Amino acid sequence: MSAEKLSTLEDAAALVRDGDTVAIQNMATQAAPMALVRELIRQGRRDLGVVCLVGGISVDWLAAAGAMNRLIGAAVSMEQFGLCQRYRKAVEAGAIRVEELSETALNARLGAGARNLPFLPTRGLIGTDLIDVNDNLLMLDDPFGGPSVVACKALVPDVALVHAHKADRFGNIGYEPTALWPDLGIMPKAATTVIVTAEEIVDSEVLRANPDRTVLPGFMVDAVVEAPFGAHPTSFSPRYGYDTAMHLEWIGAARDDEAVAGFMEKYVTGPADHAAYLEIVGGTERQAALTDWEAS
Amino acid sequence: MSGWQNSPPADDWTIDELMIARLADCFADGDQACNGMASFVPVSAFWLARLTHAPDLVWLAGAVGLEPRPDRVPASTLEAPLWRDSIMYVEQYGDFWNFALNGRWLTKFCVGAAQLDRYGNGNNSVIGADYHNPRVRLPGTAGLGDMGSIGKALYYWNPNHNPRSLVEKVDFVSCAGYLGGGSERADAGLEGGPELVITNLCVLDFHPDTRHMQVASLHPGVTFEQVQEATGFELPAPEGQLPTTALPTAEQVRLIRDVIDPDNMRRREFGG
Repeated sequence: MSAEKLSTLEDAAALVRDGDTVAIQNMATQAAPMALVRELIRQGRRDLGVVCLVGGISVDWLAAAGAMNRLIGAAVSMEQFGLCQRYRKAVEAGAIRVEELSETALNARLGAGARNLPFLPTRGLIGTDLIDVNDNLLMLDDPFGGPSVVACKALVPDVALVHAHKADRFGNIGYEPTALWPDLGIMPKAATTVIVTAEEIVDSEVLRANPDRTVLPGFMVDAVVEAPFGAHPTSFSPRYGYDTAMHLEWIGAARDDEAVAGFMEKYVTGPADHAAYLEIVGGTERQAALTDWEAS
Repeated sequence: MSGWQNSPPADDWTIDELMIARLADCFADGDQACNGMASFVPVSAFWLARLTHAPDLVWLAGAVGLEPRPDRVPASTLEAPLWRDSIMYVEQYGDFWNFALNGRWLTKFCVGAAQLDRYGNGNNSVIGADYHNPRVRLPGTAGLGDMGSIGKALYYWNPNHNPRSLVEKVDFVSCAGYLGGGSERADAGLEGGPELVITNLCVLDFHPDTRHMQVASLHPGVTFEQVQEATGFELPAPEGQLPTTALPTAEQVRLIRDVIDPDNMRRREFGG
């Protein structure tokens, strides 16, 4: 008999402590575990280190809330919606320290963490200044006599936050047919604690019908939470597109401290729970519109 | 699709279409191409090449979707509508790099950089002298920090040729070009490197010995003096008459406007 992993957003987010290094599944406008990100902000988490491949609005909200003081990642951008301005301001003010890695270097750091190795090498970054400013990267002679490589020190995040389509109450995680995107393959395996939100909690039989679509086994997952539209306002293929209007509202607000405070109160700290958030952002009508990718 | 070979130069074209047509020239049958985010010019160029001279150019959209059939260029070049009807999804983070690092595939890569210097080094990290206390925090290197160091041929595109984007020395090297010029890149054990820089004013390449950026052709109506004025470092004086960049053909312009990008997403890169 497997252990029950079903939890609430409140209890799951409470597994994250102040100062933790938190790996967040994220792409510019895609697949971020936004319900968990909002809950962390609502609970007033501080001094988080965020690990992400490409941070988007999640990182900008955490920066706006003063919840993070370091970032380990390859880029932070909302693509067509521009740079994350609150993150950028916080970095320029010295409030967030950035460990910028290339994609292969981040993959190597997490891969070493997942496999209990001291480091993994990459051939990326050679010749760049990114090696010189980072104590976790070191040029290394190939012991077999080939060209030098960059040793990337193991990274073990305290927590990984992931959003998925389906989960059973034992923490087995199922993905619907879509690009595996973006960090699912390595972040949860490197992290000490894994928290997953899912569009729906399903009976295990649903996962058994397509075991090739089960992407994480229950034994490595510590908590699962049902959070429909849990990646909103980022996209979650194939179910829904990113919310253009909300991204535009945010970049409008992000220019001004007072507008940021108003936005955060309205959408992040104000709503009592995830259901209340979904109502405020437009309820079922808005959700239906977002499922039409072309119109989103 | 017929008639692209005999199509005359367009008499009605815009600079985005010229840049797309010239970037398309860099990709041939047998190549594999991939794109990153906000890459409307490369995406349009790959698509144009596939509709004309390179029908067997393999396209891995967003480093995710193999051989996609998008309806048109969408508002994002890193979201699912771009890789509609793909024949395979490559796991972007893990498996994509197995292909890219291997060396046999994806040997050409298009790069956009906030700063590019005379030796083709790119910067998307920070503006200012101190990495840890930047004047401006840029988005970050993403995959460029890898692509510059793993033997790829790099094709830079820059829709805003000005002294802030083409600089004497980048504030920070986040994509390795020819480093300090000459043999420095080779001495560091790196193969490949920057091939071309296609801007809204001209096409530039790199001198085979000094590896210094130089004008290869001027776009119609642009003078060398104008290019020099818009460049943050001294360009080698041209020996004789510089060639004029080839115009897109009437058929290329039609394909871009009517088939590939009817919503003019490419104009976003030009402040349009």
